[in-house]
Amino acid sequence: MFEYMEYNIAPWGAEIVIYFFLIGVAAMTFVYAAAPAVFGNVFGGVAKSMEPFQKVGLIASFVLLLICGPLLIMDLGQPSRFLYPILYFHWTSPLSWGSLFLPLFGLCIIGFYFGLVKGNQGLMRVTGILGSLLALSMPLYTGLDLMVNQTRELWSNPTIPLLFVILSMSSGTAVVAVIQLVRGQLNAQAVEFLHAFLYLALAVTFALFLAEWVVLNYGTGEKQQAWEIINQQFGFKYWGMTFLIGILAPLVLVAMPKLGRDPRILTLAAVLSAVGAYSFREVLIYAGQLTQINF
Amino acid sequence: MPVGLQAEPSLGVPGKKRWAMVVDLRRCIGCMACVCADKAEYDVPLGVWRTIVKVKDTGHYPNTKRHFMPRLCNHCDNPPCVRNCPTEATYKHEDGFVLQRYERCIACRTCVAACPYNARHVLPRNRDRVKIGGVVDKCTFCNHRVEKGLQPACVQTCLGRSRIFGDLNDPNSEVSRLVARHKTVVLKPDKGTRPQVYYIKPDRAQTEQVFSAPHSYAARSDAEAFYRHNRGSKFFSGVL
Repeated sequence: MFEYMEYNIAPWGAEIVIYFFLIGVAAMTFVYAAAPAVFGNVFGGVAKSMEPFQKVGLIASFVLLLICGPLLIMDLGQPSRFLYPILYFHWTSPLSWGSLFLPLFGLCIIGFYFGLVKGNQGLMRVTGILGSLLALSMPLYTGLDLMVNQTRELWSNPTIPLLFVILSMSSGTAVVAVIQLVRGQLNAQAVEFLHAFLYLALAVTFALFLAEWVVLNYGTGEKQQAWEIINQQFGFKYWGMTFLIGILAPLVLVAMPKLGRDPRILTLAAVLSAVGAYSFREVLIYAGQLTQINF
Repeated sequence: MPVGLQAEPSLGVPGKKRWAMVVDLRRCIGCMACVCADKAEYDVPLGVWRTIVKVKDTGHYPNTKRHFMPRLCNHCDNPPCVRNCPTEATYKHEDGFVLQRYERCIACRTCVAACPYNARHVLPRNRDRVKIGGVVDKCTFCNHRVEKGLQPACVQTCLGRSRIFGDLNDPNSEVSRLVARHKTVVLKPDKGTRPQVYYIKPDRAQTEQVFSAPHSYAARSDAEAFYRHNRGSKFFSGVL
């Protein structure tokens, strides 16, 4: 009787999950596209393998950004006030910083594109470095947005921003691999470059997944409650979609030296890891909101 | 001062007020008059609440007990909602209130996520009488009444005088005397929010987060009905 009055919540739903995923993809797609200008001959000039991808990558990144912005705005209860986080900037809120960095990131994509079209190396280098830093800040701020909620213990975890950056590396790699495979430009050097990044991203994701498992099982009452919620309500998404399909399967694929460097297998592994990247975020965002509904 | 606040916490600061509430759970009879008073004072829409009285049934027949626990915004001295608000729509008043500027709120729901007490809700759009909608709302300790020397609506209407409101910085106020004389607890002190709603003699079943899922058949039915009703609607997005 009357107990239903407790559920006074308005959680972040699918719009936020999709936004967090797409903004990570957009960010890492830009980082790959800008890599030849940013890294040049560093690491033996391996980043130059991304040169054929630059123009299409920038377009892809910008299109994703054009989807992300309106998606985030439409999720607001007051969409017409979308500039308020910048106009009334509050420095302790990661969302304010994200709102500031998002348009700046867009400007860097445009600047880099003009530099590329005009052959202006200086502009490309400046916008490439700035844009890559801003790109990294995109998944970082989405993770921080969760991490700063110290009252929700599943989120209040310093590994969340790092995890979101790593997940965006996987999903960004998937976009690059698919586009380059379809265009028939996934040559050996590009495969080597993408393979190294995907392998690193998946290994770190695997480690963070295990860390999460330990932290939730050995943690406070709320963390243990979160673990129960994850297993009861999100069991398939967490263990099936995230762990088996999104982490373990692609990790096994890329860990095999020859098979992992096959362009099609690498692309498959990258796509699977992108599925896991979406699913992992979804579980964390949803389950993190459910721990308090019985309190 | 905790980061992100607009005013220093006034608790214990001479010459300043620190409004607070004491809820004496020995006196609450679960009449819900406070909930109704609040609904009437602010035209709070159906489905959302500024204050609630949580009901918890414990034990098995014939040894059963029903517990009541009024809940509201705790007007914390280190409020995570204020720190996380991207537009400073939520702010800390110098007298301790945590208030909301509707004209600034973008309803990003960051504050809803940040609040450990489920004290915030989103107002629906297109309301009939009050035109404030599509923004986040919360209990204000009835600051518009308090500033005129009145008690908050829920306190004024409380039949059993379970809710007592006053200035904690005034040693002669009733809230100060109650906090000094009785063993009081605040909710989730470990979260570092420094809440300013003090409870006298709550039951463990009411303050423990992990083990306080609905126990009674009626409560579970209510909760399940609520889930079903809200599944797929905008702000729930199928999460439940």
